[in-house]
Amino acid sequence: MKLFTRYNRATTMLTIVVMLVLGVIYYYVISGILTSQVDRDLEVEEQEIFEHVKLNHELPVVYPSNHQFIYLTPVKSPVKRRFIDTQYKDPDENAMEPARGLISSVVLNSQRYQIRVVQSTVETEDLIRVIFMITAGVIIVLLVVLQVFNRMILTKLWQPFYTVLNQLKVFSPSNQTILDHATSEIDEFNDLNKAVSTMSARAVDDYIQLKTFTENAAHEMMTPVAIINSKLDSLLQTDEFTQNQSVLLKDLYDTVTRLTRLNKSMLLLTKIENRLIADEQVIDLKELIDGLLHQFDELFSGLEISVTADLTEHSIKASRFLVEVLFNNLIGNAIRHNHRKGHVHVTLTQAYASINNTGKPSALDMKLLSKRFQKSAESEGTGLGLALCKQVCENCGFKLQYDFTDEQHTFKVIF
Amino acid sequence: MKILVIEDQAGLRESIESYFTGDGNVCESASDYNTAIAKINLYRYDCIVLDITLPDGSGLEILKALKEGRHADGVLIISAKNSLDDRLNGLDLGADDYLTKPFHLSELKARVAAIVRRKSFDGSNSLIFNEINIDIFSKEVKINKQAIKLTRKEYDLLLYFLANKNKVVSKNAIAEHLWGDEIDIADNFDFIYSHIKNLRKKMTEAGGKDYISAAYGIGYKFIDQ
Repeated sequence: MKLFTRYNRATTMLTIVVMLVLGVIYYYVISGILTSQVDRDLEVEEQEIFEHVKLNHELPVVYPSNHQFIYLTPVKSPVKRRFIDTQYKDPDENAMEPARGLISSVVLNSQRYQIRVVQSTVETEDLIRVIFMITAGVIIVLLVVLQVFNRMILTKLWQPFYTVLNQLKVFSPSNQTILDHATSEIDEFNDLNKAVSTMSARAVDDYIQLKTFTENAAHEMMTPVAIINSKLDSLLQTDEFTQNQSVLLKDLYDTVTRLTRLNKSMLLLTKIENRLIADEQVIDLKELIDGLLHQFDELFSGLEISVTADLTEHSIKASRFLVEVLFNNLIGNAIRHNHRKGHVHVTLTQAYASINNTGKPSALDMKLLSKRFQKSAESEGTGLGLALCKQVCENCGFKLQYDFTDEQHTFKVIF
Repeated sequence: MKILVIEDQAGLRESIESYFTGDGNVCESASDYNTAIAKINLYRYDCIVLDITLPDGSGLEILKALKEGRHADGVLIISAKNSLDDRLNGLDLGADDYLTKPFHLSELKARVAAIVRRKSFDGSNSLIFNEINIDIFSKEVKINKQAIKLTRKEYDLLLYFLANKNKVVSKNAIAEHLWGDEIDIADNFDFIYSHIKNLRKKMTEAGGKDYISAAYGIGYKFIDQ
């Protein structure tokens, strides 16, 4: 939900509730004031009757006047003076109208008379309605104006925030561009800008340090391995070797090769994790997978593994290097963990790529597999293959799924 | 050919030197930036094997100096930094090739040989060894003037062996050369055997000598008999 919507919702709700409560109070106050006005009219009338009786010693003659009636009726018991809400029958319109009445009494020649003055309140009600309508109109206009004004003000006020947000969205330490802080009139945004700019500078700095460290680590570790490797190559040139010596040499070679591969995989993993590889480009996946399968030709035919591929044209935008690492590992695994005369099937659609192979008759534990250095006892791999795959998928925004059905292992990369 | 190895690691430098020396090749070495600069200012080489990370300077600076002096020496960068930036920087500055440490000496020699071949201006594109005649551009191989048809891998293998004449080349090195180190086929070297068998067969059938022999079960050797 947008901040503005949220804010708007809250203020609108509050305004409506307050308006309703105020409206009710307003109504009662206005009608109270008008009623007391009517009551005063009634009292004036009553007073006139009293004065008339006192002066003339007779009851006044009452003429029906506009919206007002006076009834004088002789009574025995004393009458309690009170105001009443009553009905009034309009003789012209012949309809019942709301009215206000005053009941009082006067004594003339020891005869008690009840005075009943009734005045129609139709006009009062009309007045209240008009006042209420005008007020409601003003409120609605005010509400609309406030809404529009709020929207304009908020949009303008939050402009610096959106600027920073957009900068952050495209920010990547690998670009090594520090966000410069635009100054705003609002202190909070100035603080935010400063914080973002400091953070980006730190991120870029960390990134550079990490990159340097990774490269130095590679250098430091690869150099001794390179020396061992070159010494082995030199040793091989020296003289005749006995059967025993050549077996030892072969083991040494294989181990150094594995050490190299392991070190390279580890460095690659760190690099991918730290997102040090950023050579995004459009890749024709069909061509890439085709090429890889071709490269694996000898391995397939050597193990008599049949390969089928069902590839549709699909291009993605990602690092070519990483995508190659991903499919290299997946296809390599499909071969390594296969058996003789097995089968590998590769599918590529717009939505996913899957590699399906025969192999061990039991399902693998994906959770265990993607851990570092997890491998089967007989595997010659580094144990980093799937960890690499998973990391590549994470970086490229893919999803890696494993499935075991009908004795077939399937790894699926969902784009 | 005349080679200069600029490498600060004594172990590696000596290995390269001893591997390259002999067979009509001269190999000199420099262990630091200043020595290297002095050498490249005085002498010309067919190819310079250049380590990027030196204790007192960057190999890239040496490369720059070389290009500023308009020297046509071939340059092969060897570096432990397998970073794309370095690779591109090096190649942008005019290096001919880039090899990441660790590498096999046979791979280095094959790469150097390729650079020297490209740089030589003797007008011929062919590589001749006894009865073998290889046209580098058209990738045609003739034995006693009779063309033989080699697959891509067999052709690569032959060039690789010719660059490493009289040296034992390990199967690991051959595997890496033919398939690259991305593809992990270390567990199974049968494929190499079948390629070599086919290459030998094609060459001997065309009347060539059988130069390739297995060595101690570790590798193969191309011997100039």
